[in-house]
Amino acid sequence: MPGKKDMSGFDDDFNLEQMEKETEEMLKMRYLDKNNAVFEATEGGFVSLKTGDEEYSRVQVVRMFPFTDPDHFISIRTSDEISKEIGIIKNIKDLPKETAKLLENQMNLRYFTPVITKINNIKDEYGYAYFDVVTDRGACRFTINMGGSSVVHLSDTRILISDVDENRFEIPDIMKLSANERKKLDLFL
Amino acid sequence: MSKCKFPKAVRALLSENKIEEQDILAASGTDMNTECEYADGFVVLTSKKLAVVTSAPDKNEVHSFKGYQSRIKEELEEIDRPWACRIYELDRLDKLHAEALVACSVLVADVDGTALRLTVFSNLYKRDIHNVVRTVDRLKNPSPMGVEEAGKGPERDKKDDEYCPVCGMMYPDKTRKVCPRCMDRKSIFRRVLGYFKPYIGKIIVMLLACFATAGLNLVWPYLNGKILYDQVLEKNNEFLARFGIEDGRFVTGLLLVVLTMLMARITIAILYVIHSIFTARIVTCVVRDMKKSIFEQMGKLSISFFRSKQTGSLMTRVMSDAERITGFFIDGVPNTIINSLTLIVSLVMMFSLNWQMASFVIFVIPAVMYIGLKLRPKIWTMFGRRHRAERSVNSQVNDNLTGARVVKAFGQESRETERFDKNNNRLRTAEMGIVVTQNKVRGAYSVIYEVLNICVYIVGVYMILVKHEIELGTLITFTGYVGQLQGPINFFSRIFHWWADSMNSAQRMFEIIDSIPEIQEAENPVSMPSPKGKIELQNVSFGYEVNRPVLKELNLEIKEGSMLGIVGRSGAGKTTLVNLISRMYDPQEGKILIDGVDVKDIAFKDLRRNVAMVSQETYIFMGTVEENIAYANPDASHEDVIRAAKLASAHEFIMRMPDGYNTRIGSSGRELSGGEKQRISIARAILSNPRILILDEATASVDTETERAIQRSISYLVKGRTTISIAHRLSTLKDADYLVVIDNGRITERGTHKELEEQRGTYFKLMELQRKALALKE
Repeated sequence: MPGKKDMSGFDDDFNLEQMEKETEEMLKMRYLDKNNAVFEATEGGFVSLKTGDEEYSRVQVVRMFPFTDPDHFISIRTSDEISKEIGIIKNIKDLPKETAKLLENQMNLRYFTPVITKINNIKDEYGYAYFDVVTDRGACRFTINMGGSSVVHLSDTRILISDVDENRFEIPDIMKLSANERKKLDLFL
Repeated sequence: MSKCKFPKAVRALLSENKIEEQDILAASGTDMNTECEYADGFVVLTSKKLAVVTSAPDKNEVHSFKGYQSRIKEELEEIDRPWACRIYELDRLDKLHAEALVACSVLVADVDGTALRLTVFSNLYKRDIHNVVRTVDRLKNPSPMGVEEAGKGPERDKKDDEYCPVCGMMYPDKTRKVCPRCMDRKSIFRRVLGYFKPYIGKIIVMLLACFATAGLNLVWPYLNGKILYDQVLEKNNEFLARFGIEDGRFVTGLLLVVLTMLMARITIAILYVIHSIFTARIVTCVVRDMKKSIFEQMGKLSISFFRSKQTGSLMTRVMSDAERITGFFIDGVPNTIINSLTLIVSLVMMFSLNWQMASFVIFVIPAVMYIGLKLRPKIWTMFGRRHRAERSVNSQVNDNLTGARVVKAFGQESRETERFDKNNNRLRTAEMGIVVTQNKVRGAYSVIYEVLNICVYIVGVYMILVKHEIELGTLITFTGYVGQLQGPINFFSRIFHWWADSMNSAQRMFEIIDSIPEIQEAENPVSMPSPKGKIELQNVSFGYEVNRPVLKELNLEIKEGSMLGIVGRSGAGKTTLVNLISRMYDPQEGKILIDGVDVKDIAFKDLRRNVAMVSQETYIFMGTVEENIAYANPDASHEDVIRAAKLASAHEFIMRMPDGYNTRIGSSGRELSGGEKQRISIARAILSNPRILILDEATASVDTETERAIQRSISYLVKGRTTISIAHRLSTLKDADYLVVIDNGRITERGTHKELEEQRGTYFKLMELQRKALALKE
């Protein structure tokens, strides 16, 4: 390696090693489970984590497959802007019940999506569709843009609807709606 | 100040906590709690404290989002519910920010050092909360522009969130301040008519042909029945006398009638040809005009418009919309008139011929129309379904054509075919559904019509044979008119949807034509034919979405004629920064000045001419090499083009192509490599001879040797110009006078090469890393 020692006597090799270590860290899958991680509720409504000799006063709980596999592969990340991954929970069901509940509460808010249980009316006018529905969180009225990709088919029977502000609503199984309701939804199926 | 209105109870609660309305600097509604329930609340800010008002969730309340009534919060006025209020002194509050979750956000702050969830809100209030947060920021960190700015909050876009003054609906799209509900269909109709105005002459001819055809069609049954049978074949001498024919010469009379009938048929045929020719002429012209105005408008719209919409689908939709609109106007409008006339005249004729039979018919018409109207909505949704199936087939074809290389490389052809089959089958099913239903309708119609016809015949024959009330000719004429009814009945059962469809298409078209470009030229733009090229950024913040800032309060000064290098990891906001300077977007806060003038005030023409950008996304237009290089400057001489190509190290490879500078490139021509495309774009920028040159990863896909060559020409080029260069390869920036490192939307390091090296920060780390990588190669 010629031509690098002119760097004001700085120890290059050490630096390179450190960089490699960082890269290694980035590529590693680090699993968190009940034996190596302790999650606790914080006073402010968040979750803290102790793992090994690391301590985080607040972590983010993020699903890797929010639609298809919500209970597995949950990424625990730092709460700062960079949001670095601390570790992965392979299966939330393997955690103690209390802990699982704690994390689920965090995720419920993160993935807040009212489930539409009843469709009162859908009116399609001038490129927008006006929904009047009942959800598990109460009656809702919202508007979607007909032009874009506001209605996404997660599977053949499951759809996700985003309104003009990207608030989300979900219909987990359209077959569970009445024939009449499905007819109203026909435009999007 | 804030458009938030509070219910009485909340006002009382706030004033209990010594917050009076005049003290409020910013406020927002909120609509959720941490338990994932909808619950109304408010966030209210004064210069000293932040109040968070909450209430218990009310399951009976209907939660309205954007697009519904302005009811949101206002109707709460009278609702009496227990409100709770928490007050946070601003002194004890730190790091207030809204954390965007997937579909809602949490307002978080450190209170006495502990991170706290203050409240939760859906995306409905994203903007308002953002406003509160920014106001707090300004209160805590008064900007150099002065403290008084703090109270103002960020300049709220006047275009945002406005309600329709008539019906109270929110405009679903802020770029288009026309309430879709209140927008008068008649006015759309009139606007569309405007497109037909230039062709008024042709339209009159077409209409005349139309009316003449309709008239002759109405006369036909009379000729055929009454005259032929009842007068000529009945040997009525009186009738002959009326035409000056001698008594008894019925053959002459017959010849005359047959000739008239023949002439009528021929005239109808000729009129039909005239009608078709003129219709075709008018339609094609109007469609062309509409497409032109859409295309023109698309050119004017800002980059953000194309970011937010699926451009491809939008384009096809609008393009086919133009045809659909015109179709209705050219076929629907004249036909409405003709069919109404035909219907009325036929009925009148029927009644004058025989009222008994006519009254029989008149009862059937509403029944037939009812069936038509009843069945149409079904067909309507089927059309919609077919449209969507068509769209998914189209988009898959598009997807696979663009990704052909990947599909091939991974050997996934058969799976793609399967996927295509699935979509294709859906289209087939949809298509079949339409055809089947349409045929059912048609079948039902003809059955009803035939039954009606038979009934008329039975009644008629009964009247002729038993009652001797009418003659054969009258019956034939009558059934002829019954036949005439078929058209109008069919037509009127269709017209309502046709009209609605056409108006919807028109509305979609005007949606684009009326869109207001987000980036607009100032009303009295400053002309700046040759700026010196000094660029200043003052407190610039920008994000593509509210709540997710990409650039945060940047301050930077680039001296005229100097070269600035920007370094940073991908996604740090480098490209966004240069996009702001070339005014692809406007900063949400702060100012960008060129020679001390806000870029917002500079005339577009001057700005575009003096700021050239070579971006990482190169685009080659369809055309020759020369046309592509001279894109910004079509009048450039051959010599200039060659010089620019040489400076961009493009000349050699251009000359290796068979047709030299006349080689056709772009999507229909010869394929260029990534590096070649980049060099063409550099040549394009060089030729436009700008005062400010922006190079955004301009040499990322050329080899090191070519890069050195371009480097040399750039160092020649940058003389006397202000240059901003973004690069991952630090060697690209070795001529830079000044460097900044951007990380996470902020400038983290700044200075000359030497200064940055000494700081031993990100820049130093990057340099080391690249040095190592190079060393390894050697």
